[in-house]
Amino acid sequence: MQGEGLLAGLLGSLKPRRRRRQPTEELPLASRAVSYTVIAALLAASLPIILSYTLLVELSFSASFIATPFEKTSFTLENWRLFFQGRLAPTAAQIYTPSYIRRMILDTLIVALGVMGVVVASATPAAYAFSRMNFRGRGALMRFLILLHAFPGVALIIGVYAIYVYTYRRLALGLHAGEAALLAYAFLYVIVARASLEIPMSTWLMKGFFDRIPWEVEWAALVDGASRLRVFTRIMLPLVKPGLAALSIFSFMAGWEELIYVVVFLPSKAPTLASYIHSQLSGGAIETAYLPVVAAAAVVYLIPTILFFVFTQSLLVEAAEGAGVKA
Amino acid sequence: MVEVELRGVWKRFGDFVAVKNVNLRFPDGKFSSILGPSGSGKTTLLYLIAGIYKPSRGEILFDGEDVSRLPPNKRNVGLVFQNYALYPHMTVFENIAFPLTIKGLPRGEIEERVHSVARMLHIDELLDRYPHQLSGGQQQRVALARALVKEPAVLLLDEPLSNLDALVRLEIRGELKRLQRRLGITTIYVTHDQSEALAMADLIAVIHRGEIQQVGSPEDVYRRPRNLFVAGFIGMPPANLVKAAVTRTPTPCVVIAGGGEYCPGEPLASKLEALGLEAVVAAFRPEDVVLGEHPMEDYVSMEAEVYVVETLGRENLVTLRLPDGQAVKAITSPLLNPRPGDKMYVNVEPSKILLYDPDTELNIEAIEAAPAARPVSLAGSPERRRAAQEED
Ligand SMILES: Nc1ncnc2c1ncn2[C@@H]1O[C@H](COP(=O)(O)OP(=O)(O)OP(=O)(O)O)[C@@H](O)[C@H]1O
Ligand SMILES: [Mg+2]
Repeated sequence: MQGEGLLAGLLGSLKPRRRRRQPTEELPLASRAVSYTVIAALLAASLPIILSYTLLVELSFSASFIATPFEKTSFTLENWRLFFQGRLAPTAAQIYTPSYIRRMILDTLIVALGVMGVVVASATPAAYAFSRMNFRGRGALMRFLILLHAFPGVALIIGVYAIYVYTYRRLALGLHAGEAALLAYAFLYVIVARASLEIPMSTWLMKGFFDRIPWEVEWAALVDGASRLRVFTRIMLPLVKPGLAALSIFSFMAGWEELIYVVVFLPSKAPTLASYIHSQLSGGAIETAYLPVVAAAAVVYLIPTILFFVFTQSLLVEAAEGAGVKA
Repeated sequence: MVEVELRGVWKRFGDFVAVKNVNLRFPDGKFSSILGPSGSGKTTLLYLIAGIYKPSRGEILFDGEDVSRLPPNKRNVGLVFQNYALYPHMTVFENIAFPLTIKGLPRGEIEERVHSVARMLHIDELLDRYPHQLSGGQQQRVALARALVKEPAVLLLDEPLSNLDALVRLEIRGELKRLQRRLGITTIYVTHDQSEALAMADLIAVIHRGEIQQVGSPEDVYRRPRNLFVAGFIGMPPANLVKAAVTRTPTPCVVIAGGGEYCPGEPLASKLEALGLEAVVAAFRPEDVVLGEHPMEDYVSMEAEVYVVETLGRENLVTLRLPDGQAVKAITSPLLNPRPGDKMYVNVEPSKILLYDPDTELNIEAIEAAPAARPVSLAGSPERRRAAQEED
């Protein structure tokens, strides 16, 4: 059924697709009716999303602005050319340079990779400790992590901003840091602040992966003569590889998609894809923006999501089937 | 190689005492077995020797040297885990090579040693596979190879055969024993299967609820169980344990239901006398019972009623009831086929009967100079005595 395929696609990023069993068992009538209803409801609910994405991609390739999904329009690569040239409107009202676009993509990458690096580097050892070590306050600390995760990042931003302003001022006025250093500091600040929002949940996620490794495997390595550090690098890390991959992807995406922290802390001369798209659409800018070019930017912005969708399929299936660890 | 000794070793998990005051010596180059039912603390004991657990009290010595504080990677022991614990992300070759790679041996030497140990265990065909592509028996060999390749001072085996089917188990049992003989490694083999321990071990330590019940040769443990637990645990089926009264006429005699009377000779008689027991538990093995229509001369004979007859092929297992309701099992020739309800005589040679103190549960023969050997016997039940022991 077509709807089923589409639905499987939509849910694909959430849940591993089951391999179809042969022969498929006949479902009882009642439960079959229920599952069709559920599918129909999900389809109806996701229709606006599907429509908007279709429109977005279509718009980035269309010669004129389209307002409805059924409008006829001719295909063109002009928008993409304009985008990569840094000309954000055919009228040349807003002209940037090609390097500006490259910078923008690079900035987005720096934030995304930075968040990824900080999250993976701190959540993995923390998760190992929570999974394997007995220390005072372990239980309380784990509950505290959940609580931390429950706090919305937007609410935190005021406190985070206060610290930023204080430290930034010290750097600029007290230490006379140069412009480049201040920019680097802004990036570092965004990365660390944004990563800290991801770390609690990531630690929990990784703890789950460590928990699934039998103690005996770890002990076997100790008995075989490996030091604790060797056991961690040679045995534990390879066995949580699916977890590391999932964690990397999730935290990369969090950094790539981040808007609020970027808008607040990065100077406007260093936009990311998210903040650029945002700037084109907010505060009256939308009146003058040439949307097909913005659409092209938005499609670039979507690329990691699409890659994520493609790769997590096999990754999640692998993780679910426990290819790494057989309990 | 190495002699392993445990001195007053205790292990607590929170409030739970898993290993209680264990004193044991595993002789150099011998095959020793730790035998006990599930949950008796066998694995815990093995992990203590390997260094995975630290003793709560007491010390562990390798050749007289205290290793209690040494981590596992400094003890040079080989350990085959109950569930094998192979590294799932490594091939069989990498698994076996791991202890050598950690030591940083040159590539050539690693290859050579891995191949030679793999050949010895007949797994040289499997070196490129991953653990999940192996059968249970193959995984067991890989785990053994990994433990042997580093030429450990002590080889520790935790029920390595329990996941295998009966035939493979018998086969590997023989191989393992031969291998140990050849290599002469001090080996400690943990099992809950008495037939494995009896067949393979030079020395058996029976453990129950974290306490060592008896240490001895298979013959000792089988023929002269030190206490009621060992008597009731060893043997297929284990020994019959029958409550009996002690009369004094004036020499002490043991009176069993169904007319059985056993008047032990010296030195047992005076021991019974000195202990002043009113009741004992008489133990005798089902295979030592001669079933008959009549009481036999010079045998202790009890009248009993046949309850169930089980055909085991080579022999029959007959369960009977003494007049007071206690059950007695007897192994008989398959030709003897009594019917349930039949009256028969359970005849046992007096020398095959062992007597136990129902209070301390100890073999009366094993109790030393009588009163001194039971210093706390007045304190009450064995449970309470155990509890008291725990506090000191
Ligand atoms: N880490 C632990 N924490 C608390 N209790 C434990 C722990 N490890 C073992 N125990 C307890 O100690 C007792 C002995 O356990 P152990 O694993 O040594 O038994 P075992 O003789 O090896 O049993 P089996 O034949 O089933 O493997 C058990 O009652 C068990 O519940
Ligand atoms: Mg065990």
